[in-house]
Amino acid sequence: MTTPAPSISHRSTPPALSPERPVEWPKRTVRTLPNGLQVVLAESRTFPKISAQLYFRSGNAVVALRAPGLAEMTATVVRTGTTSRPSRQIEEDLRRMGAGLGTSSGADSSAISASGLAEFSAEILALIADLARNASFPENEFERERRQRFEELKIERTTPGFLANERLRKVLFGLHPYAIISPTEEQVASYRREQLEEFYHQRYVPSDALLIVVGDFSTGAMLEQIEKVFGDWKAPKPATPESPAPPRQSGRRVHLVHMPGTVQTQVLLGNLAITRRDPDWYRTVLANSIYGGAFHSRLVINIREQKGYTYSPRSGISALRQLGFFTVHAAVRNDVAAATLTEMFYEMDRMRSLPVTPEELDSARSYLTGVFSLGVATQDGLLGQLSTVYLDQLPESYLETYREKIRALTADDVVAAARRHFDSANAQIVLVGDRAQIGEQAALFGPVTEYDAQGNVAAFGPGDTRA
Amino acid sequence: MNPAPRKLHIPVEHTTLANGLRVVASPDRSAPVVTVGVYYQIGFRLEPHGRSGFAHLFEHMMFQGSENAGKMEHIRLVNSSGGLLNGTTNYDITNYFEAVPSNALERVLWLEADRMRALKVDDENLRNQRDVVKEEVRVNVMNQPYGGFPWLDLPPVAFRNWPNAHNFYGDFADLDAATLADVQSFFRTYYAPNNAVLLMLGDFDPAEAFSLAKRYFEDIPAGALPPRADVTEPPQTEERRGVVDEKLGPLPAIAIGYTLPPRETPDWYAAAILERVLHGGRAGRVFRKLVLEEQIAVDADGSADVFDTNGPTQMVTRIFHKPEFTSEGTVAVYDEIIEELQQKGIAPEELDPVKVKFRSDYYSMLEGGMGSYMPRFGLMHYLACFTLFDGDPNRVNTILDGFLAVTPEQVQSVAKKYLVPRNRAVLVRRPVNLGGAQ
Repeated sequence: MTTPAPSISHRSTPPALSPERPVEWPKRTVRTLPNGLQVVLAESRTFPKISAQLYFRSGNAVVALRAPGLAEMTATVVRTGTTSRPSRQIEEDLRRMGAGLGTSSGADSSAISASGLAEFSAEILALIADLARNASFPENEFERERRQRFEELKIERTTPGFLANERLRKVLFGLHPYAIISPTEEQVASYRREQLEEFYHQRYVPSDALLIVVGDFSTGAMLEQIEKVFGDWKAPKPATPESPAPPRQSGRRVHLVHMPGTVQTQVLLGNLAITRRDPDWYRTVLANSIYGGAFHSRLVINIREQKGYTYSPRSGISALRQLGFFTVHAAVRNDVAAATLTEMFYEMDRMRSLPVTPEELDSARSYLTGVFSLGVATQDGLLGQLSTVYLDQLPESYLETYREKIRALTADDVVAAARRHFDSANAQIVLVGDRAQIGEQAALFGPVTEYDAQGNVAAFGPGDTRA
Repeated sequence: MNPAPRKLHIPVEHTTLANGLRVVASPDRSAPVVTVGVYYQIGFRLEPHGRSGFAHLFEHMMFQGSENAGKMEHIRLVNSSGGLLNGTTNYDITNYFEAVPSNALERVLWLEADRMRALKVDDENLRNQRDVVKEEVRVNVMNQPYGGFPWLDLPPVAFRNWPNAHNFYGDFADLDAATLADVQSFFRTYYAPNNAVLLMLGDFDPAEAFSLAKRYFEDIPAGALPPRADVTEPPQTEERRGVVDEKLGPLPAIAIGYTLPPRETPDWYAAAILERVLHGGRAGRVFRKLVLEEQIAVDADGSADVFDTNGPTQMVTRIFHKPEFTSEGTVAVYDEIIEELQQKGIAPEELDPVKVKFRSDYYSMLEGGMGSYMPRFGLMHYLACFTLFDGDPNRVNTILDGFLAVTPEQVQSVAKKYLVPRNRAVLVRRPVNLGGAQ
C-alpha cells in the first residue's frame, strides 16, 4: 500500500484552517417608489419560499409619553380584520398560501411580516398591502385583544428576566421614551379604538416605510407586483416628536426587585452606550465579544466554566435608533449574587485597564467575521441583516465592509472602547430576587432602592440619599 | 395565477465507515459555510434508572475536554474559527453541532473525532457542570412562570414505563449522586461510532468531505452496544390526570396529550396532519374555538414531535385559560372540538390548506430551524433522525409525500381511533396565586 498509515500526529494537533473561500454578498436591488416606499429585494433560491417584511419607522417610542404600548396594541389589532377580509378569512388565506404572519411594534418601528411558499408570492404581498392600507380595527377583536393583553401583563410581572429589563430601562432612560418597555394594565384599559386608528393612519404610511423581500423570486416580476399593490398609496410623512434626554448617572446604585421565595437571582447591570451610527460601534462590538458576548469570552469562562455560578451569562450592546446601552446579565444561585457582581466588575475593569492578548484579539475578530457570514446564509438571517442596514439607514456598503472593519481593529481599539462604554464606576445594578436572600449582598455595591414586582418603590436602603 | 410549485430536491450522499459510523453529506455551495453535527442514539429516555437527568449532564461533559483538546479548547477552536457550537439532549438522541466558515470543516471534524475517541474529564469538571446544570434547571424551570410546562410535567402523568415517565432534566439528588465513573461508563456504552451518525452540510466537495471523515473517524474502535431497552408502554385503559402547582404564573394552564401511532405507519402520517388541523396558530380549530369564539383561553396551541422521536410520544395541546373559567369546563369545551371532528370529519377545503402549510413549514424547518443563525440546522436534524431511526437519510426527499397524501377519511378515522380518553393524559398547572391578585 502506498497510502501511509494514519499517524498519531494527525490526531494530536488541530488542523490549520484551509484557505478561506470568498464570501459573495447577496445582490440587492434597492428602489424608492414615487410615494416614498423604499424597497429592498434579495434573491435567495435555495428553498422555494419568500419572506417579506414591511416596516414603518414609528413604534412605541413616539407614543410612550401619552399612551405607552399603543403602537404594539395597534399592530396586534391590525391583523384582525381589513375592510374586505374578516379575521377568519385572513387566517385561512394564510394557511392556503403556506404562510405565517406577524405584526408587531418595537420602540422604533412597527412591522407587518409574512413568509410563505414562493408560488404564492403575489398573494402574500397583496395580503401585506391589505393589512397596511385597509385595516378595519373591529371593535370586538380590539376588546378581545385588550383582555388578552391584561393577562400577558400579569404573566410578565412574574417573569424575572422581564422585571430586570424593565427596571434597568427605567433607570437608564428616565424620562426618555425608551424607559418604558411595557404598559401598565391601567394604561391598556385607557386605550380607545380611535387612538389605534389614528396611530395607524398617521404612522403606517409609504413615505416612512421600508419593504424588504428575500427569497425565491425574480426581481423584475417582484418589483412589478410591489408597484401594483403599493404604487397608488399616498400619505404624508409624520413628524417625530423630540424626546427628553436620559439622566446622567453618578456612581453605582442597586435596584432590587423583590420576589419572595425565588430560588435564583437575576443579575443585570448596564449603562448607556452608543448606536450603530457611532464611530465607536465596531470596536465596542469587538470589546463586548471578548468581555462576555461569546461562549469563549472572559465572563463566560470565569463565572460559568470556572466557578459554576450560572448557566448562561452574557453581555451585549443594544442599539436603538436614538440611543444605545450596554448590559451584562446572569441568572445565579442566591448565595453568589455578590460574588457574581464582583466578577462582572473585575472583568469590566480588566478590559478597561489592560490590553487584550494578541490571541484573544485574533480569535474575537475571526469569531465576529465568521458569525457574520453565517448570519446571511439563510433567508431569515439575510432579512435580519438587511433590516438592520436599511431600517437604521446605515451605509449601503455595510455588509461588504463589516468584516474588513472588524479585521482592522487593534488591542488599543478594544481598551479605548471598554474605557468609554463599559462604565464600571457608574453602572446601574438590577437584582431580581428575594430580599431576605440577597439584600445584604446588594448593599455591598451601592445605595439600594427596593421595588415590588408591580414596579412600586417598596423601600430605600440605608445608603440611599433619596430616602 | 400562481406559478406551479417547485419540487424541492435535497442532494444527499451517504456511506458507512468500517467501524459502523454512518456519514451523511448534503453539499450546497451557495454560501461559504458548513454545518457539522454528530448525533448519538442516546437520549434522556434511555438514561440509567436512578440517574434522572444524567444524559443531559453528560452532554455538558462532552464540552469539558477530550484527549487532545482540553477544557475550553472545543469552544475556543470553534469560536476562533468564526463558528458557533452547541449540543442538545432529546428523547432518543443527543446531538453536538457546529456552524463554521467552510475553511474550518477539517478542524471541526478533528474536534468531533477527538471527543468521540476519548473523553478526558475529571471530578472538578463534573462538579463545575453539575452546578451549571442546576442553574440551567432553575432558570428554565423553577424560576420561570410555566417553566417545564408541559414537557416535564406531562410524561409522568401520561406514561408508566420509567424511560418515558421520569424527570428528564433530573432531580438534584440524582445529579449530585452522579460520579466520574458513571460518566466514563456512559461514554463507553453509548458514545461508540456505531451508535452515531456524522452529518456535513454546505460548502464542500463531497468526495473530499468523505475522505476527511474517514481520516479522522474510521480508526475509532466500534463498541459493543447494549440491546435496545424496552420503552414500550403497557396498554392504557382509562384517561390519566394530574395536577401540579404553578408557583409564579397567574393563569391556569392545561396540557392535553394523546399518544401518537407508531412511526412510519399510515396512521402516523394522518395523525401528524390531524395535529395541524387542531393546532398551528389562529387558523387551528383549537385556537379558533377557545380563544376567538368562546374566549375562554388567552392562548391555545399545540404540537407533536413527529420526526425526531423513536418511542412513545404524544401530540400535545397547551391551553392557558382565563381565571374565571374552570379547567374542567375548559376541557369540556375542548372535547366538543374533538367530538365534532370525530362525527363530522373534515372537508377537503379545510384539509388542503393544512397540507400546503405543512409543506411550507417543512421547508422552513430544513432551512433554519434553530433561529436563523445556524444554516440548515433543521436539515441536519432530520437527516440524522431519518438515518438513525429509519435507516435512510433520503427520506428527507420523500417523506413529505406521505403527509400530503392523507385524505379527509383518514383524518376522521385517526381522530376516532386515537383522540379517545384511554389514549390521553390531562395535566393542569394550578396557580398558587390565581389571577395574579396583588
